[in-house]
Amino acid sequence: MSKKIFVIVGDNLGLSREQIDYEALEILKFPVFVGETEYRQSEEHNAQWLISKFENEKVVAKSSTLIHNEIADIIERNRTNYDLFIHVVMSSGLSAASFLAAENVRKQYENIVPVINVDSRQAVNGVGSVLLGIIDLIKTNPNMSIEELEAACQQIVENTFSWFVLPDLNYLYRGGRIGKAQSLMGSVLHIIPLLGLMGNEKEGIILAMGKARTFRQINTMMMEQINVKMKEKSVSTIKRAITLQGYGDKNKEAIAEFMEKLKTLPCNEIIHGKGGLVDAVHYGPGAYGVSILL
Amino acid sequence: MNAINSGISEQAAVVFDLETVNEIIENIYHYLNKHKEYLNSLNVFPVPDGDTGLNMVLTLQGAMAHMKINEKNYSHSGEYLEDFAEQMLLNSRGCSGVILSLFAQGFTQITANNDFSKENIYRAIENGDRNAYEGTENPREGTMLTIMKALSEKYAELMSKQDNPFAIIQQTIPYLKEVLNQTPEMLPVLKQAGVVDSGGAGFIVLLEGINNELGQYIDTGIPVPNLLRIGRITRKLLNKRLSELRKSPLAPLILNIDSSRIQNSRLAEALQNVRNMLVNLHVNHNNRNGRSLKRKKIIADLQYLDNSWNPEIKEKFCTEFVLESNAILSKNQLKEKIGHYGDSLIIVNANNKYKVHIHTNKPNDLFEEVSQYGTLLFTKVDDMKKQHRNFISDDEIDYEKDKSVFCIVSGKGFADILQKIGADDILCYGKNKPSVNQLVKGLNDLKAKNIIAASDDGDILMALKYAVTLCKSSVYIVESENPVSLISILMNISKDYDIHTMFEAAMNNVNNIPFCGIARSTRHVLSQGGSPVNKGDYFAVYQKKIVLADKSKERLMTNVVEKISATHTLVTIYKGADAKNDNNLMKQLKNQFPSLDFEEYYGGQPDYLYYLTFD
Repeated sequence: MSKKIFVIVGDNLGLSREQIDYEALEILKFPVFVGETEYRQSEEHNAQWLISKFENEKVVAKSSTLIHNEIADIIERNRTNYDLFIHVVMSSGLSAASFLAAENVRKQYENIVPVINVDSRQAVNGVGSVLLGIIDLIKTNPNMSIEELEAACQQIVENTFSWFVLPDLNYLYRGGRIGKAQSLMGSVLHIIPLLGLMGNEKEGIILAMGKARTFRQINTMMMEQINVKMKEKSVSTIKRAITLQGYGDKNKEAIAEFMEKLKTLPCNEIIHGKGGLVDAVHYGPGAYGVSILL
Repeated sequence: MNAINSGISEQAAVVFDLETVNEIIENIYHYLNKHKEYLNSLNVFPVPDGDTGLNMVLTLQGAMAHMKINEKNYSHSGEYLEDFAEQMLLNSRGCSGVILSLFAQGFTQITANNDFSKENIYRAIENGDRNAYEGTENPREGTMLTIMKALSEKYAELMSKQDNPFAIIQQTIPYLKEVLNQTPEMLPVLKQAGVVDSGGAGFIVLLEGINNELGQYIDTGIPVPNLLRIGRITRKLLNKRLSELRKSPLAPLILNIDSSRIQNSRLAEALQNVRNMLVNLHVNHNNRNGRSLKRKKIIADLQYLDNSWNPEIKEKFCTEFVLESNAILSKNQLKEKIGHYGDSLIIVNANNKYKVHIHTNKPNDLFEEVSQYGTLLFTKVDDMKKQHRNFISDDEIDYEKDKSVFCIVSGKGFADILQKIGADDILCYGKNKPSVNQLVKGLNDLKAKNIIAASDDGDILMALKYAVTLCKSSVYIVESENPVSLISILMNISKDYDIHTMFEAAMNNVNNIPFCGIARSTRHVLSQGGSPVNKGDYFAVYQKKIVLADKSKERLMTNVVEKISATHTLVTIYKGADAKNDNNLMKQLKNQFPSLDFEEYYGGQPDYLYYLTFD
């Protein structure tokens, strides 16, 4: 008999609810603070709203971690109807507190209902990639044991790779997520950094993947690195690509050029992701990128 | 400077004390310094970065400064000069400095035995020439190496006609100048610039300096072989009957030999006796017995001198090696095996290691043979790298990081930029190229196990390569030649990867950014297309060729952007240290090329007024 599985994910996944074809899913909203006021993603308070505040009011925003009780509340409300909960969590390397909160909830329900916390080693559309990969898995292999599922989820994590172009690293720096990209900060020369979250890197922190002087160069670099990764993994077709965009009008041309380039890749599905409020805190105006599942 | 052997020396001894040697070196240095600007002007591109003369001068200066503070005691000038050459190498700057130092190192390795005879100096020149060639990656004709080879060949040719090595060197100079004048035919880049090779010219200037100093020691003495030939003829003559002796046309010739030109005292004495006897023979026809006795003694003396003349003795190299062998069980056993290679054999033995000193003509054959019995740990003649390693074997480095990137750059602005995009340390050298010592210090100060090193000038490459042999870290040199390449390298490497991946990325991207250098001509030259570039004109160098020139800087820059920026979107201008009066330049370019982005930075490079890069 197939398991009934409920999926939990934070709202920094680069996808809207409509883009996820799975009913038993709840998206947790990360708290965002602008000054001392807390906001959550909504029709009004979205990525565009925050980017506009960044550009026009020079505000500083911060995000907070997932809240234990909010995770537990989802499980509590659904536990009688489901056999298993899978929580796809953003990289523990980027937010150890969020993963800890998820782990504490798992322990709380240890003898009540099984919970798998998947450390996605990703953020934003990378989390979305892992999430959709797991949903594919659940749909195609409904009879897998918990152990088999755990192992398969790990495989998905290790086959997910994301690249980000963040024109201003200060947003990432202020949010405490700078990781190894710190080396790219403070340059006298104007450089455009290429960052990455590589699923096969255990640390799950943001890596400096390259730097360029023009967006055209950085787009070419991204495409080259995707091809290298495909060769490395002996993959001829990308299972899915989720783009990252939607942080204001900045870099429109560069983003459009990249999206055109993406179309040339052998890929089963390209989803144009949607940036959310919490991502905008860390990525800032004009950010874009792609996450792929191989 | 050579020692007199028990037999006849081919040349009278000229012995220099260390003070005199220092004085000679200092005078040679001043002579070179006087010609520095001439050498600097012999540059392929008419930009003020020609520094061959300066590099050679600084190389000598560095070695001199070290020797002044050095408290080591030297037993003779050969030993002193060997150390001086080592210091030249450590203080060498630019390609010209390194090649010159390599020649000096090879030369002084041979004269370290204090033998400055004609033959030994030939071997020294040969070894210096070989050492310089072998130490130069991709040695090319038309350079200083060609002049060194020509010196070796001409010296060999003149050896049969001259005994005094200083006189031979003096006589090679006109020939070397002829060869120098041919260098533009050997290197097209010289021909295009209308200059002779600056390194080669510098080497000749140095030889002239040496000649000025040592010329006073050139005597006009009759060569020893000629004197011995005279001795042999005299012996034959003396064996003849007295009546024949008196009539012989050779007798007046012997009587007229200028005794001041006979510099070997024993030969001079013997020939003086012959003359006295001949005078007596003509003056006094009596006293047959006395004459007969004297004649016999003179013949015996001449015979003895002839027998004691052994030119082969000069063919021997002072050779040292350390052999580690389990096959050889004693000093005597080794002595038996190698004794026939030469003389002055000394063997010191500890456990299975044998330190050997021998004078031999065939050091290479000797090394080949002894290596059959074990491992050669050290050789004195030609293993430069091992000597280098030996030199620093006591150094201890506590590595603090796994990998680092080290950049050598002249402009301060570029230094800042490079530091901010990932270089761990920068050696900013300004106008004077860094010495090997400075480079070694820079590399060692990083305390990194693996280092990627790159410089903004191809002329630093040789010095860097020698610095690497003295550095304990594994150094990966990226052969870059300009500051733009350094930016390209740093833009394309990530320290998140292992050193090999980093190095590969650096190598693949060294020439990734198209760029153009703008400078002002210091003399008349021709551009790539053959059009003249006048002194004072601005010109653009693209892919190492002068592609455009103009009297107006603004017009030139506009033409350059128009010509090169076709497929690019960003033009970056790096201003040089001497870029002035250009406040409107950027504005003008932006107006003329509205579809392009322009960025401006201070590069601080001393040679080019601007570097323009195209992304």
